[in-house]
Amino acid sequence: MTSARSQSFVLGLIGVSLFLIAWEVIGTYRLAGLTWPPLSTVLAFLTTPAKLPLFGRAAAASFTSVAIGYLCGACGGLILALASHLIAPVRPGLDRLVAVIHAIPSIALAPLLIVLASADATPPIISGLGVGYIFYVAATSGLATASATHRDLFAVLGASRFSVTLRLDLPSALPAIASAMKLSVPIAFIGAIIGEWFGASRGLGLLIVSAMQNFQIPLLWSAVLITAVASLAMFALFSLTERLVQERMR
Amino acid sequence: MTAVVSISNLLRRYWAVALIVVGWQIWVSAAGLSSIVLPGPLAVATDFAGDPLSYAGPAGLTFLVAIAGLLLGFLLGAGLAILSWSSRILNGLLTPLGLIFTSIPVVTLIPIIARLLGYDVRTVVAIVSLICFFPAFVYVGAGLRALPPGSDDLFRVFGGSQLQRFVRLVLPSAVPNLMLAFRLTAPEAVLAAVVAEFLMGTDGLGYLFRKAAGEFDTERALATSLIATITSVACFGLALAAERRVLRRWT
Repeated sequence: MTSARSQSFVLGLIGVSLFLIAWEVIGTYRLAGLTWPPLSTVLAFLTTPAKLPLFGRAAAASFTSVAIGYLCGACGGLILALASHLIAPVRPGLDRLVAVIHAIPSIALAPLLIVLASADATPPIISGLGVGYIFYVAATSGLATASATHRDLFAVLGASRFSVTLRLDLPSALPAIASAMKLSVPIAFIGAIIGEWFGASRGLGLLIVSAMQNFQIPLLWSAVLITAVASLAMFALFSLTERLVQERMR
Repeated sequence: MTAVVSISNLLRRYWAVALIVVGWQIWVSAAGLSSIVLPGPLAVATDFAGDPLSYAGPAGLTFLVAIAGLLLGFLLGAGLAILSWSSRILNGLLTPLGLIFTSIPVVTLIPIIARLLGYDVRTVVAIVSLICFFPAFVYVGAGLRALPPGSDDLFRVFGGSQLQRFVRLVLPSAVPNLMLAFRLTAPEAVLAAVVAEFLMGTDGLGYLFRKAAGEFDTERALATSLIATITSVACFGLALAAERRVLRRWT
């Protein structure tokens, strides 16, 4: 078993290396035109000391938006899910509301939010709406996963609605919530970046879109790379959390 | 009687949406906001009703582009999943890459692809198919490996060839996962197409929105986003119907 696992690890490592080598080769020999720089050029551009403050400021702004959006979205989604779990009659209405808000294209929400809130509040709000949707859907289905036998036991022992929720429903929803924590990471980043495409004053999204329009190819790829690596790192961290929760709850 | 029942049913499902729309209208009227800043839902509906045909063309284009990208992405994603099923080495090489790309915000790649392929409709199709590719690859790959317990042994005992095993057992057992991925990605395909059109300024709902917002025609911009929402929901509905239909035949 361990040999199979280490084998697949090595294969995976080779796969990722092949991808990075292909990136470098395509860039070096201009196989995809001038807009595909080799990986080494992008990395050299990223690590230029003169560029560090630029990337630092942009990344700080974007990651703050992601963090605020993620936290507020997670709390909001969980609270709404609890409400629809505890008060059955509101559930169909809340389900539809959440689905409709999720279906509104974020590029349509962004200009509206800039008017209603402000340009700098738009990225965290869009990010929070996306995250909230994932948490709501995962938590409402997770809260309903407790087995009928357990439910009967709680009923027989005369547990109140509140203690059933606290001691049975919430613990059995934890694996689903842990999955939502992981799956909403890229959504949080997408929300913040799209929010910044609409006139935020700083951030990686602004950097990406202005680099695209001004043909600053290394800058464009660097900003995308920072976003991707940050999202990947956070995703990996929450995958670990998810695994821990699932092992504990099994 | 049935009318009363269906109205109460509608209210039960849409009370929260209705509350927001009514609240929005009251707020706009009470605060006396200029229609450039934020028009009420009535003004948006009037603008749409006045000239519904001017939305039909862009909406149809966006819908077609989204469907084309969705199908292309699924064809490539499912194809690669099948290829990597057949070879353990290929599977080992590709699975981590697939995972990496599902955990990064793929939407941020839109500007790069726009630069690589040029600003036109084909690029929008390519972007949508890229966004649909990874879910298809991951879900179909998982489905190809989740065989009903014991079925694999049965095929071996009866001496089924590798090809028979694939066509009669492995492929069918991946179909539910394929349809699930299809339903989950269909609405995203429309939204990705709209974002791409918006950024690049190619025809479609995204461009209509950008033009309207640029001219401070907020009523038109909001009506456009309403149409985009409806298109996205319609795509979801179609995918859901397709999923139910396939699953009914399948199980």
